[in-house]
Amino acid sequence: MRLLLVEDELKTGDYLQKGLSEAGFQVNLVRNGLDGHHLAMTEAFDLIVLDVMLPDVDGWRILQSLREAECQTPVLFLTARDTVDDRVKGLELGADDYLVKPFAFAELLARIRTLLRRGSPSTFSELLKVADLTLDLPKHRVTRAGKKINLSHKEFCLLELLARRQGEVLPRSLIASQVWDMNFDSDTNVIDVAIRRLRAKVDDDFEPKLIHTVRGMGYKLDVEPVDEAL
Amino acid sequence: MKPYNQKPLSLAARVMFFVGASVGLSLLLIGILVLNAVERHFAEQDAEEVAVINKAVIDVLRNNNDSNLQLSKALFGAVSGHHGVYYQVRNQQDKVVFESAGANLSIVKDSLRHVTEISAGNLQVWHADDKTFRGVLTHNAIAGHNYLVITAIDIGFHLQFLHKFRLTLWLIMVLTWAVTLLAAWYGVHKAHAPIRRLSNKMGDIQADRLDMRLAPSFVPSELQDLVSSFNHMIGRLEDSFNQLSHFSADIAHELRTPLTNLITQTQVGLGKSRTLEEYRELLYSNLEEQERLAKMINGMLWLAKSDHGLIKLEQTPLDLSDEVRELFGFFEALAEDKKIALTKEGHAHLILGDKAMLRRAISNLLSNAIRFTKSGESVLVRLDNPSDHEVSLTVENPGNAIPAEHLPNLFDRFYRVDPSRARQSDGAGLGLAIVRSIIEAHSGRVEVTSKSDKTAFIIYLPTTIKAIQ
Repeated sequence: MRLLLVEDELKTGDYLQKGLSEAGFQVNLVRNGLDGHHLAMTEAFDLIVLDVMLPDVDGWRILQSLREAECQTPVLFLTARDTVDDRVKGLELGADDYLVKPFAFAELLARIRTLLRRGSPSTFSELLKVADLTLDLPKHRVTRAGKKINLSHKEFCLLELLARRQGEVLPRSLIASQVWDMNFDSDTNVIDVAIRRLRAKVDDDFEPKLIHTVRGMGYKLDVEPVDEAL
Repeated sequence: MKPYNQKPLSLAARVMFFVGASVGLSLLLIGILVLNAVERHFAEQDAEEVAVINKAVIDVLRNNNDSNLQLSKALFGAVSGHHGVYYQVRNQQDKVVFESAGANLSIVKDSLRHVTEISAGNLQVWHADDKTFRGVLTHNAIAGHNYLVITAIDIGFHLQFLHKFRLTLWLIMVLTWAVTLLAAWYGVHKAHAPIRRLSNKMGDIQADRLDMRLAPSFVPSELQDLVSSFNHMIGRLEDSFNQLSHFSADIAHELRTPLTNLITQTQVGLGKSRTLEEYRELLYSNLEEQERLAKMINGMLWLAKSDHGLIKLEQTPLDLSDEVRELFGFFEALAEDKKIALTKEGHAHLILGDKAMLRRAISNLLSNAIRFTKSGESVLVRLDNPSDHEVSLTVENPGNAIPAEHLPNLFDRFYRVDPSRARQSDGAGLGLAIVRSIIEAHSGRVEVTSKSDKTAFIIYLPTTIKAIQ
């Protein structure tokens, strides 16, 4: 997956490039609007991460000329100014998503993955399988190693989200938004409690452990343990 | 649009204009009246004199039976002692019987009206030979003879006096007018002295001296309203200013703690060589502090926006009962974990509101309530309709009472009931401030009551909500 990252701030650009590369993306970083505009118009990318405030050609102009050229590459824009007008403007110009600085890297990653997945056909399979864990989606039934696990409705939704995005680190805010439709930063540790309870049912009596805490970022469901190698 | 903004006329000019116009008009009126009166007085005086002469002439005619020569003599002596008096007597044949020297009265014989009684009103005035006369023509039937008598007096002396009098009068009037205007200007100038003093006083009030007030006794009664309004304004300014500076101080304090943690732990961490695991621990710990900072800044930005009315509501019809149920679903795990029951009672009318924002507000109240509720007890959410156009949502939890002196400040940013346990619980201390700004953006209000064993936060929302913008 090729990403174009247009970001003029040195440190931000470097770290975003590093983080995204390590997350498995091929990242082209450009540090001004002119280069960004040129690259976006001439080369094919799967997604463009665009800083709005650039010294020369601002992000809006780049986005606008991209859309005028009928280029439908998904664009996620980064803005430091969280005004309604800015967001509306970006979305009207054809941006697909936005993030307000300061943002959590895990959040950016999750959003990028969501956007990239959007185009591709979703799997209509009725069964989700991770190791010996099986989710029967129509019947809302979960089994692990052949044993049935009783989950509440929300617990099932949570597990389904984690399983669908296997291997991805999901930030708490994204989980709250997707599972409970709570679209705001909550100061509570509701998500941690919910995960702990889910773990007690899904992981406690089984090996290997599937639900992992990625400290400072969020949670993920995967067969591999979290960076044990490091 | 006017091409330029004209400055309003100065107060002195306005007063001068009105005083000048009214005094000028009055003086003009008085002058005209006085002149009229004097002129009429002279006319009456003249009429009396003419009447006296006329009577004397007629008396002479009446007493005379002699020849014409004697009659002339008698007529000549009729009005001795009067100066500037002229008369002419004609007989039935229109022949001049007698005529005083010095005035040719024949020329007016035909133009004068015949009168029977002499009064100021029917005297006529004419000019002849550089003189001005006032006179009258009378028909008199005496002893079978008809006599025509023209009596006139020279009124040049009166006219001269009148002329002088008029000049003097107008001069006095103009002087009076000028003096009045000057007095008015001086009065206005003097009257503005308290305003100038006030203005100087106001000029002395600086940001660091907002506790200064103007003394109402210091100004005339007309300005007392101004002074008290000004004092109120300064009072409000002082309050906001204090709040703002407290807020800045609070921000500085709130930011300093995580920053100190960051700096200290990073410096200690770098102080000597450490294991990979220790470095990782350090980074995690830093990350937590940084996230706390980011959260705080986001919260503050949100509040700043709402202060400026930049929060845009996406209004949809909402059943608060549904929202509470959803939120209970969200907090379910947490509550069960703490063995706290979440209960809901009552119903409320549909309202128009921003779903995400109201959820955030209620969620802040719920998480607060859960935090302060002991295990085994329950948090109650009560919905009600206090009136037709208002709904209420109460979040009530058992627990120790919040001291009454803290209640009014509870919704202030960074306000903490117990400063010592500052950062344990909630991240930033902005939760309740955010609740209030969300509810106020919905034109509602939020209240708190705290009694011995329970604390209740009550949100009131109008059923039809107008956006603040």
